[in-house]
Amino acid sequence: MGNIFGRKRRTRVTEQDRAVLQLKQQRDKLKQYQKRISLQLEKERNLAKQLLKDGKKEKALLLLKKKRYQDQLLDKTENQISNLERMCQDIEFAQIEMKVIEGLKVGNDCLKSLHEAMSIEDVERIMEETQEAIQYQRELDEMLAGSLTQEDDDAVLAELEALTQGALDLPEVPVESLPEVPDVTKEELEPHPERQRKKQKEMLAA
Amino acid sequence: MSFEWPWQYNFPPFFTLQPNVDTRQKQLAAWCSLTLSYCRHHKLYTVDIMEAQESPVFNNKNIDRKLSTDAILTVFEELRKKGNLEWLDKNKTRCLVMWRRPEEWGKLIYHWVSKNAMVNTVFTLYELANGDDTESEEFHGLEEWMLIRSLQALQTDGKAEIITMDDGKGVKFF
Repeated sequence: MGNIFGRKRRTRVTEQDRAVLQLKQQRDKLKQYQKRISLQLEKERNLAKQLLKDGKKEKALLLLKKKRYQDQLLDKTENQISNLERMCQDIEFAQIEMKVIEGLKVGNDCLKSLHEAMSIEDVERIMEETQEAIQYQRELDEMLAGSLTQEDDDAVLAELEALTQGALDLPEVPVESLPEVPDVTKEELEPHPERQRKKQKEMLAA
Repeated sequence: MSFEWPWQYNFPPFFTLQPNVDTRQKQLAAWCSLTLSYCRHHKLYTVDIMEAQESPVFNNKNIDRKLSTDAILTVFEELRKKGNLEWLDKNKTRCLVMWRRPEEWGKLIYHWVSKNAMVNTVFTLYELANGDDTESEEFHGLEEWMLIRSLQALQTDGKAEIITMDDGKGVKFF
């Protein structure tokens, strides 16, 4: 069983992964160390307080010196942890970059093979052939169209002529205004609204 | 949040194994669920029989009743049959309690990993169980044996691979 897993593992976990893991383990150890020291610091601070209360100033001073030293250690550890983490991130990012490059390479190869399959001469030849075919088709069209429509063309033209002629034959729109209708009789029957308004205006003016 | 005891806990006969088969079955089932939920609440993964006797689960001081060692063993044996418990030694003095199956733990861990877009990354086991990032996760503080089992469960699914190195183990998620 171990063998199966072993083989499988080799395929999926790379050397870089192992390196990262080692770095991370180191970091874990440092973190544990850091935790230990900070706990110790807290304890010593309390102890120093107690010593001061008891009046043992000398001892308290000594303890504080030790604490100071450990403080520095803590700082150093912090630095180392960040170093390790940066290293981890660098490795991880380099892996990503490698994958990107790999991806680009695959794309490049693919493009290359496609280009190989499609050389410029081929394209030129194909384009030329297409052009020729188009030319040929056009000639055919012309031949076919030319023999058929000489009479048809005449007929179509004649019809068009007839249509335009027909449109021109329409009587012109009269320009002069219509003769005025004598409205005396109408006015007598019912008063024209406009006239009435005019009358009103006249009355107002008066 | 304090642990909520079931009503049976304050019921004196509950602490004596009942002779009637049906009653006994129900009683054992209740004990099993009580044990599991107690362990879950206190995040206990390994239980020592001697300690268990003194723990409040099997020893209710309020009504002055405690479950005998034999009865505890019976309950534990019942749990073992259900797959929630494993003995660490032949003398049955220490055992592993699995109030959540390795597969479920694995699922939880994997969910967290994929939620944080950490798939394809390497982790140390310490980082998973005790790291600052997992502080608020349920699997924080998971004991190593349980963690390894859940990772093995993930490994059989092809979602993770355990890496063994000279000092300590790591895991890579896929």
